[in-house]
Amino acid sequence: MTDRPTAAVSPFRLALVRGIFLFAVLVLVWRGIDLHVFQQAQLQREGDARAIRVVPLAAHRGMVLDRNRKPLAISTPVDSLWVQPREFLQARAQWPALAKIIGMDVARMERFVMQRQGREFLYLKRRLTPDKADQVRALKLPGVNFLREYRRYYPLGEVAAHVVGYTDVDDRGQEGIELAWEDWLRSRPGKKRVVRNLLGQIIEDVEQIEAAQAGRDIVLSLDNRLQYLAYRELKRAVKKHGARAGSAVILDVRSGEILAMVNQPAYNPNNRQRLRTARFRKNRAVTDVLEPGSTIKPFIVAAAMENGLVRPHTVINTAPGLLRVGHNTVRDIRNYGRIDVATILKKSSNVGATRIALATPPEQVWNTLVRVGFGQPTASGFPGEATGRLPHYRNWREIERATLAFGYGLAVTPLQLAQAYAVIANGGMMQRPAFLFGGDRDAPVRVMKAKTARDILGMLEAVVSSEGTASQAAIPGYRIAGKTGTVKKVGPGGYLEDHYISVFVGIAPVSDPRMVMVVTVDDPRGEDYYGGKVAGPVFARVMAGALRLYNVPMDDLDNPDIRLAAVEGRQ
Amino acid sequence: MSLASACISSEFARGERPARFVVDLPLLLAALALLVLGLVMVGSASIGVAQHNFGDPFHYLWRQGAYALVAMVLGAVAFFVPLEFWRRSGPLLIIAAALLLILVFLPVLGQEVKGSRRWLNLGVVNLQASELAKFFVIVYLAGYLVRHAEAVRTSLAGFLRPLVLLSFLVVLLLLEPDFGAAAVMLATAMGMMWLAGARMSQFVLLLLILLAMLAAVALLESYRLDRLTAFLDPWKDSTGSGFQLVQALIAFGRGDWFGVGLGSGIQKLFYLPEAHTDFLLAVIGEELGLVGVLAVIALFAVLIHRIFRVGREAEKRDHFFAAWLCYGVGLLIGLQAMINMGVNMGVLPTKGLTLPLMSYGGSSLVVTAIALAIVLRAHHELHRYDRVSQRRVKKS
Repeated sequence: MTDRPTAAVSPFRLALVRGIFLFAVLVLVWRGIDLHVFQQAQLQREGDARAIRVVPLAAHRGMVLDRNRKPLAISTPVDSLWVQPREFLQARAQWPALAKIIGMDVARMERFVMQRQGREFLYLKRRLTPDKADQVRALKLPGVNFLREYRRYYPLGEVAAHVVGYTDVDDRGQEGIELAWEDWLRSRPGKKRVVRNLLGQIIEDVEQIEAAQAGRDIVLSLDNRLQYLAYRELKRAVKKHGARAGSAVILDVRSGEILAMVNQPAYNPNNRQRLRTARFRKNRAVTDVLEPGSTIKPFIVAAAMENGLVRPHTVINTAPGLLRVGHNTVRDIRNYGRIDVATILKKSSNVGATRIALATPPEQVWNTLVRVGFGQPTASGFPGEATGRLPHYRNWREIERATLAFGYGLAVTPLQLAQAYAVIANGGMMQRPAFLFGGDRDAPVRVMKAKTARDILGMLEAVVSSEGTASQAAIPGYRIAGKTGTVKKVGPGGYLEDHYISVFVGIAPVSDPRMVMVVTVDDPRGEDYYGGKVAGPVFARVMAGALRLYNVPMDDLDNPDIRLAAVEGRQ
Repeated sequence: MSLASACISSEFARGERPARFVVDLPLLLAALALLVLGLVMVGSASIGVAQHNFGDPFHYLWRQGAYALVAMVLGAVAFFVPLEFWRRSGPLLIIAAALLLILVFLPVLGQEVKGSRRWLNLGVVNLQASELAKFFVIVYLAGYLVRHAEAVRTSLAGFLRPLVLLSFLVVLLLLEPDFGAAAVMLATAMGMMWLAGARMSQFVLLLLILLAMLAAVALLESYRLDRLTAFLDPWKDSTGSGFQLVQALIAFGRGDWFGVGLGSGIQKLFYLPEAHTDFLLAVIGEELGLVGVLAVIALFAVLIHRIFRVGREAEKRDHFFAAWLCYGVGLLIGLQAMINMGVNMGVLPTKGLTLPLMSYGGSSLVVTAIALAIVLRAHHELHRYDRVSQRRVKKS
């Protein structure tokens, strides 16, 4: 060795250094035991508080189907984009690309995120379609996560919107069937406990706390084909006559099931822009009332016939075409002279109907109207259904008895009107209307003598003849019964001149009634405003299609118009 | 004399010629055990970060494996280099250390990472200059303490001269800034002076001055003070200054006695920053539990004990360069390991220091391997002379 000889230092110095290291080792060992054993429970709790989360498990809402199991509302999977602002802020360079995909303004996005920097969970965009979500995933941004949700989609759009209703952003029913059957349709999201890393990604499923439960499907009585047909024709008529609104209802006479129910104006539930305005949202056929006008007359006649006061051929003097009741005058459009009851209905004579009503005890009139369902809810269970209005007979003065005879002083919904005519069509048996297909129903109840119903039905067939008020409601090949109504609208100061609701109620076919249809057109602004001319043709077009779709055999083969219609159809 | 080294050398002792290899087996085995365990844990700790940053969960594992191979090869080479070489190159190495620490401030060569200029860009790999500098300082100082043994023990000039040189390097380190490396380098140097017999009064005075300066440096930048005091109650601000430590402590707590199992830890998944470098022990604590942590502490204790033992033997045999060298290496590795583990467990302020032999990082791994190889070389040289002299005694 070449080291210069130097004395070794005292062993004490090395011992001190080694002692310090030994002390350090002992401290570390003690600390290790302290952390691992004594503080273990508390530290683990702190760790769990930071890493363990309960996350929802999404499940889809039940489908709404029509009677042929065609979907009216279905839930499709979507991905809601949420971010953790702290991580997300690190990728600001890529924000424009993200903003472009999700269709958000970059400046707005910046403001939105910056204002909420302190949060750990921030929805940036709800309900992205799966392909958009994949595009966002491809950007691989930090702090960007997705939550599986379901979006409600309505294949029929505005055609069935009023009946089916819609759900809100959290998938809760807000209107229509979606609201009424919320509990049935609703999915019950499950819960699971997971371990998340700091980026929010799920590393590990710890346990499933609650299984997700999908909502149950519901089958409506609607027939989407009739729904389309009715919607198209009603919309066309409302547009053609410059009307404010309109409704149409088709009832299956035997089951009471609602085959179609459409309204104007309408909204597209897939695009929520019009949702804010109640005008578009209302299912008028159920929620709005109107005075039935002349369409009430068959029931006035029925009340008199049930009590043996008149028969179809009983002759009543309507001359001179007007009738004084107290200080008021009831008018016909012309003097019909002495006509029988059938003609009163065919020509819709107000004077004739008033004479019959005044001859019938008020209680009997009231009973008949109540039995066919006026003044009470229909038990359809539709949210927001109107009850209508039928004052009690004890409060009727003479003028009220008179105006009631031609449909003023009471209010009904189009659905109630359809329900009442279904009684006539069903031989006097009442079957409550329903929105659901099949299932257990109450047995029909007799509310009118079979003979009365048959007689009324026969008289109503004449209304649709060439001499009746509703010749335009005729359908070649089928015997059709019906009644028109042209109702004066009520304004702030009483009845308005030149504002009407045109109504038509039809029954087809007369030989074996299958369907009842009510058409109302609110405030047609064109030249035509008579129910027969405005609402009648809608009935004819829709019902012709409906009868064909349901393969209802023709019962009027002798009519020469059939051949003519067939020729027209081919052109 | 350890049983293990005796066993290996006894085979050679019977021969006629001096033993070719005398190995301090416990030292070598402890170092290899730490290296292998470190490699495994770096792989486990970095899976999440590697997948997230590079799309390859084993990105850091492959690299650390390559560094380990290079470290072992260079360590083996260093074992064959006589200590004489290191003694002669001492003054050159201290100049090299200064140059390295200056180079990091050059625009192209120097790499800035997270606000610190600690890295030299060598194209394929980055070199952490301070790791080499720390080692070079030990080699230089060992030589100086031999050359000026009397001066160090008697005159103030002899005591201060190397420290003046050293303070220049420390200032460079503080400029990077690398507070941890500066502290460890100074502490190692002071320790070596102490063991070399510096006068008690001078030493204590200097120690006080240095402590005052350290305090001043710490107070100069508010973030340092925050970090220095945050460890006392990390829960007070568990999402801010105490975040890292809280996550580390949670990792230990989750580990329990036997750990959650290798690879099953969750703290390393972004909760614990620097899991594969500074906070590797916390990952060991979570995945291998108390047993794993105690094993690591024990392995380091064995390693340091054996290094000091070799130094003491060298001192007894008047092989002072080897002695101071071993003490220096023992102090460097020991201090760094103890401080890192103390930081992980929250008994020392959170400071960016790696765990020698275990943490991710090629520069540290390679330099540590070479330093340990030199200690083994010292052991080898000592005992080779032992055999030769014993044989001569027998013959005579």
